[in-house]
Amino acid sequence: MGTMAMGDLEREVMTKLWDAREPLTVRQVHELLSRDRDLAYTTVMTVLDRLAKKKLVTQQKADRAYRYAPVQSREEMTAGVMLDALSATPDRDAALAYFMGQLPPEALKAAIEASRQQ
Amino acid sequence: MTALLLGALGLTLSLIAPGILANARWPDRAPVAAVVLWQALTLTAVLCALGVVLAAPEELTRAAGARHPETVVALVLSLAVAATIVIRLLISLAQVTSRARARRDRHRMLVDLLDHVEQRGEIGGEVRVLDGALPMAYCVPGRDPRVVLSDAVLKVLDREQVDAVLAHERAHLRHRHELVMESFTAFYQAVPKLLRSRAPLDAVHLLLEMVSDDAARRRTGPEPLRAALSRLADALPLAEGAAGETRRRRLDRLDLPESRSLSVAAIVAAAGLLVLPTVILVVPWLGRALDAWPFQ
Repeated sequence: MGTMAMGDLEREVMTKLWDAREPLTVRQVHELLSRDRDLAYTTVMTVLDRLAKKKLVTQQKADRAYRYAPVQSREEMTAGVMLDALSATPDRDAALAYFMGQLPPEALKAAIEASRQQ
Repeated sequence: MTALLLGALGLTLSLIAPGILANARWPDRAPVAAVVLWQALTLTAVLCALGVVLAAPEELTRAAGARHPETVVALVLSLAVAATIVIRLLISLAQVTSRARARRDRHRMLVDLLDHVEQRGEIGGEVRVLDGALPMAYCVPGRDPRVVLSDAVLKVLDREQVDAVLAHERAHLRHRHELVMESFTAFYQAVPKLLRSRAPLDAVHLLLEMVSDDAARRRTGPEPLRAALSRLADALPLAEGAAGETRRRRLDRLDLPESRSLSVAAIVAAAGLLVLPTVILVVPWLGRALDAWPFQ
């Protein structure tokens, strides 16, 4: 399996976990993803394991099965990425390039809050 | 004498010239050449500092009429100081690049997970679309680069304007602008706090934006780019202060043609900066120093 396909699967698994709003077992994620394609159970297990290693999902043992939940909600992670992308701090200039300028963190937090309430 | 001249040149290049170049407006019409001039200015200032460190002890001991052992000690000491300067710059560069790479890797992973494939439409390739009412467009450089748009950008801009933004970001990626910014950031961080100035960093950052603006307007014409800049800025609280000023400069120059003669003049100045001090000052000093070399 190429890295591109793995990236797509990771995104789809995260989307299922975000939409579920409660921890899911490997079997549940596998069932959700298998609705529109043929997918091996072990592949789903591998993907969840990779996401856990990247600290994007947590693994909890309940009723003799591992359940997986996202560490952050989709909204929280998006806000974090935005803050990381747009915050202006001295040693961050070199990492990303912007179409518009950067913002001081307080102004950015206010802007994110304001845009959420719209 | 050589050390004094090199010191004077180095101080001029690091304390006076950056202010003049940062306030000049001609670079708006020749941004690529102006970036090269900034690079030459910075590199020559470093070379002057190294020249002072190497030449001063030898000249002083020779002027004081010292005999060979003292001259040798002075030379060894000055070599050690020069090596320290070079090593400090290299360590700073390694730190800046590795921090930037780690941050980009994590950022790329997160935008890949948050990507809304269905909202991209026919925009494909390395573009990722995030949720969010805040319009943002930026790129994550590197070997596996990304261009990130928030879906607010797709709502606020029409297709042609989005193309202008994408052309702008892809120019950053294609020309590896992040390497230029990393080298200036590394230099900034290697200079002691009391002596350093953000002027070169900010000026080069704005010039690179202009370089990418030029790539975008070659692709779509100036109007979609102008509209994209205005609409995105209206939606962000950027208007006051320095950010508003840089946006005005980017908008004002979109009607002006790039100036070939200004570019040539800046490139010639950059080459002169790098070559002349070496030829005029260092070569005669090296000749004298070698004549006085103790083991001949």
